Amino acid sequence: MTEVILMAHVLFGMLCIVAGVWLFVDVLHASEANQARIRTVSMAVAVFMWLAYLVGGYWYLTYYYVDKAIILKGPWKFSHSFFMEMKEHVAIMLLLLATYLPIATAGNTAINKASRKVVLWVTGLIVLIGVAIDGAGAIIGIGVKVALLGSKG
Amino acid sequence: MEGIGKYTTSFGVSLAITSVVSALLVVVKELNENSVLTWMKNLTSHHWITHGLFMVIAFFAIGWGLARMNNGEGLKLKPERLICVIVSGVVIGGIIISGFYLVG
Repeated sequence: MTEVILMAHVLFGMLCIVAGVWLFVDVLHASEANQARIRTVSMAVAVFMWLAYLVGGYWYLTYYYVDKAIILKGPWKFSHSFFMEMKEHVAIMLLLLATYLPIATAGNTAINKASRKVVLWVTGLIVLIGVAIDGAGAIIGIGVKVALLGSKG
Repeated sequence: MEGIGKYTTSFGVSLAITSVVSALLVVVKELNENSVLTWMKNLTSHHWITHGLFMVIAFFAIGWGLARMNNGEGLKLKPERLICVIVSGVVIGGIIISGFYLVG
């Protein structure tokens, strides 16, 4: 069950990034024809981020203590002391960015260049930070793996 | 460049402020485990839940407050300045958090 929850967290995070890339491209080619889709996809980015945050938060609070104990006995202690600590707090900023996105896309990005620029910058930040904390998650996973490999060797 | 809506400006500035405040709260709570961190743990059972709740509430409260400025017309800011404020807030917040755990 714990693996399913963790994979759901990763899935929602990846969907948030993919939707962010989709939104970025759509806003680059903003027209009256794709305004409704831009607003729908921006809402999808926010919803996927909230799901990733809530599911990941549940896993972190309920199951992570086991992984943490394993990591801290292994050679990659930094995967917890830096990457997990950084990830859990930068994720809050990412959550706020994603929550802001539907507010920013309420303006007409087809006729308003200023509104378009704001949405592009915010979406770019979401994608970049999303990829960074996705990578941090991978390093945390490897931290557990190398600790377990070390204990068997 | 055309103007942008009052909610886009107000909540954009709120996003920047909340990002920096969130990062500073990380430093304050980690350096004061027996007082601030314990208090945050006692509020919701885990300091991270309290932290997230505080920041979401602050984001909406500050954004709403800024949108009511100037007799309801909201905070005025040029679009280029708004982008600069948002990016600066998020980058500074990220540097504070990463720097703290890198050095700490």
